[in-house]
Amino acid sequence: MSHQALIAILLLSPFVGFLLNGLRYRSQNYVLAGSIATGAVFVSFICSVMLMMDLIAAPADQRRLTANFFEWIAVGGFKVNAGFVVDQISSIMILIITGVGSLIHLFSIGYMHHDKGVTKYFAYLNLFVFNMLILVLGDSLLTMFVGWEGVGLCSYLLIGFWFSDAAKAAAGMKAFITNRVGDAAFIIGMFILFFSFGTLNMYELNALAPTTVEASWLGAATLGTLMLFIGATGKSAQVPLYVWLPDAMAGPTPVSALIHAATMVTAGVYMIVRLNPMFVAAPNTMMIVAIVGAITAVMAATIGLTQYDIKKILAYSTVSQLGYMFLAVGVGAFGAGMMHLMTHAFFKALMFLGSGSVIHAMEGEQDTRLMGGLKKYLPITHFTFLMGWLAIIGFPLFSGFFSKDEILWQSFASPRGSVFLWVAGAIGATLTAFYMTRLMALTFWGKSRVPKEVHPHESPVIMTIPLIVLAILSVVGGFIGVPHLIGEYLGHIPNYWAEWLAPVIKTLPEAAAPHTATQEWALMTTSVTLALISAFVAYRIYTSGKGTNEAIAKAFGPVYNVVNNKYFVDEAYFGGIINPLVKQSQNLWMYIDVNFIDKTTHVISDMTKGAGSLARSFQTGNMQQYAMYIGLGVVVVLTFVLMR
Amino acid sequence: MTDAILFWFLALVTVCAGLSVILMSNPIYSALSLAMTMVGVSALFVTLGAYFIAGVQLIVYAGAVMVLFVMVLMLFDLKHEIQAFTRGKITGAIKIASVGILAGLVVGAITLGTKAIEAAKATEAVAGKTYDNNTMSLAQNLFLQNVFGFEALGVLLLVIAVGTVALSRSRGGTHARD
Amino acid sequence: MPETNILTTIGLEHYLVLSAVLFSMGMAGVLLRRNLIVLLMSIELMLNAVNISFVAFSKFNNNIEGQIMVFFVMTIAAAEAAVGLALAVSIFKRFKEVNIRFFEHLKG
Repeated sequence: MSHQALIAILLLSPFVGFLLNGLRYRSQNYVLAGSIATGAVFVSFICSVMLMMDLIAAPADQRRLTANFFEWIAVGGFKVNAGFVVDQISSIMILIITGVGSLIHLFSIGYMHHDKGVTKYFAYLNLFVFNMLILVLGDSLLTMFVGWEGVGLCSYLLIGFWFSDAAKAAAGMKAFITNRVGDAAFIIGMFILFFSFGTLNMYELNALAPTTVEASWLGAATLGTLMLFIGATGKSAQVPLYVWLPDAMAGPTPVSALIHAATMVTAGVYMIVRLNPMFVAAPNTMMIVAIVGAITAVMAATIGLTQYDIKKILAYSTVSQLGYMFLAVGVGAFGAGMMHLMTHAFFKALMFLGSGSVIHAMEGEQDTRLMGGLKKYLPITHFTFLMGWLAIIGFPLFSGFFSKDEILWQSFASPRGSVFLWVAGAIGATLTAFYMTRLMALTFWGKSRVPKEVHPHESPVIMTIPLIVLAILSVVGGFIGVPHLIGEYLGHIPNYWAEWLAPVIKTLPEAAAPHTATQEWALMTTSVTLALISAFVAYRIYTSGKGTNEAIAKAFGPVYNVVNNKYFVDEAYFGGIINPLVKQSQNLWMYIDVNFIDKTTHVISDMTKGAGSLARSFQTGNMQQYAMYIGLGVVVVLTFVLMR
Repeated sequence: MTDAILFWFLALVTVCAGLSVILMSNPIYSALSLAMTMVGVSALFVTLGAYFIAGVQLIVYAGAVMVLFVMVLMLFDLKHEIQAFTRGKITGAIKIASVGILAGLVVGAITLGTKAIEAAKATEAVAGKTYDNNTMSLAQNLFLQNVFGFEALGVLLLVIAVGTVALSRSRGGTHARD
Repeated sequence: MPETNILTTIGLEHYLVLSAVLFSMGMAGVLLRRNLIVLLMSIELMLNAVNISFVAFSKFNNNIEGQIMVFFVMTIAAAEAAVGLALAVSIFKRFKEVNIRFFEHLKG
């Protein structure tokens, strides 16, 4: 089969699934709806695998399959094709999206079977996959933006899926509006790039990227990429636009797993990797990216320390891990960023689905204070969750270890890295280990605090199979990108990941400072040791079963309060931006709209009404009078003709 | 001289009958006067040599249409009308004035235009086609040149027949809300 | 052109003036009468007046088309009378009177 056809099937299969389910959205047949949706995504997965094999078979410098379906926009010199491309970067993304996506669809059948809107849910989910595929496959920024907006829409629809709950509907709107802020910047970035380089096609942009790095802040590449990055902070939940993601947990848990952990939120990282030559040419932007990533990683991790809602903890963890990815791409370690994107997709999807399983078992309860000791009720969930936990805290030889360690090392060793970034990353890793262990301890270990009337039970097979598959991936997923240093001790495993991505990743122009293997070992050992110690401490604290929460709160006093309230960021946004805006809008309404615009229109309408009532007196409804008008008209015309 | 006398006589009859149509307050008298007008017009057609049209005028107007009017009047069983004319002196005056002025203007236009018409007639007579003023040429013209219009009229009459039945059967007329 | 006696020599203009007078009378009826049926009769009067001028033109211009037009006008007049009377009938059914003032729904 030609790759055009494969790409077409890959794209259209979820869309067909969306149509099939969307047209019968009232149906409550969850088996049929789930089968259609899962099947559609699975077909896409098969296409992705076939495309991947085609790519592997091709020579390293020709690994790019394109499909131009039609010319979408052609206005003067501005041309955009509905073109899609599978190359080294997007092939990884489509495998993650469709692979993890089909597992999550499968899980959803079990998780959502009692819901009344199950068919609508699956329709939205398929539409999301379709848009996500457009996002990653589009060969121009504009095509990408279509998917970018599409996934935003689906995210909104799915966060507010239970829209009869006002808080959940509000969470959906918050996500949508916050994303709007970023999207505006994204559009501006597109304008700047098009204005300067005359194209939006990403390959052409990459080819046109300046070869010498831009030192100025006002260069086209710097400004353009900076704007695109601001767009990415919205979509990928980075400081300062991360506030929507924790609230987005109002949606169904599989949605959180698919959209708000594995795929959509990584779109920003993907976009940067996609345009890496452009970003490499703009070191100032990259510096911002790295700093924002580092701040996000630490800040979100600290907030995660104080949360009790199982999904909120995972949400802040996601924000933090996304911060790592941005840290990686910010220091030029694009490969490491993509690697962490993939491993994170595995273990975070696993943990979200695991939390879904727990919530399912707890009959909707999300508060970890009412859990504990679930290990014996949910053996499979616990075991798979354990794998995810080991992966995320960076336990050696688990997938998260390889990717996170590579990021930390690069943030130190890269010419654009610095020791401060490494310290931030290491602190983040330590905190991550702490709050994830805390989550494990509160949920699965220690004494049971489960209310009497709740009887936890293991989830059905349809929900545990995705967990098991994802657990396996979380464990072994890292081995395709083993760093050279460690690979030597594991029987000289080559770093497939770096080789695969090498043709599309631009190396930094600056010469790397020489670093010794000793340094690398030292840093790695330090960070892993810190993480393990903090995990052990957390284990000790939270399994001891004493009134520890209050004790900790008292011990840290005001600091705890600030962190617990998420640094008052939401409040600051409300006080600093939203409320003044509302106030000003009210003023505009009162003074400009009511006094000026309304009055003008009233005067005009009064004049019209006056003229109308004048003309109205002719319309007596008396037909003979109308006939008289006709007669008079004839008289006038005839007189005029004769007097000429 | 004979046709002059005939014309003046017929004109007098037609105008008097027409006046009584609009002046009689009892609609039955109006209808009868209208029938008289029709007959007068038919006779005028004869003086103009349009024999077929004159016959049709008698049959269709004086016969069918007038019968229709009289039948409807009979159906309504109308008495002498108390107020036959519209109220409102000013509008009435305007109406009468406009009618008068119109008549004057048209007559003025005719007298002014007669010369032009005579000239046109002269040229037409030279270039004009032969025209036998008989029924056969009328029929040939009607069924050869104007057959489409003729058929269209047939359809129109059918539509009117159906529409009339529908209208008459409806209850409450144009104010039907119940 | 020799001077002709207007009383003895009957020309086109005689018929046209007669037609104009009849037409004006019909128009006065339409404007002034209140009875719907008399109104319709006045319209018939106007149509007849027009017919006279058609036939007169046909005769004095040597053109048969005028008579064809008269034929068409007659048919239309018959149809119009039928519809008008049907409307009068429905008005009468409702109000037991056929007065033009019941057709005042066009009032603005």
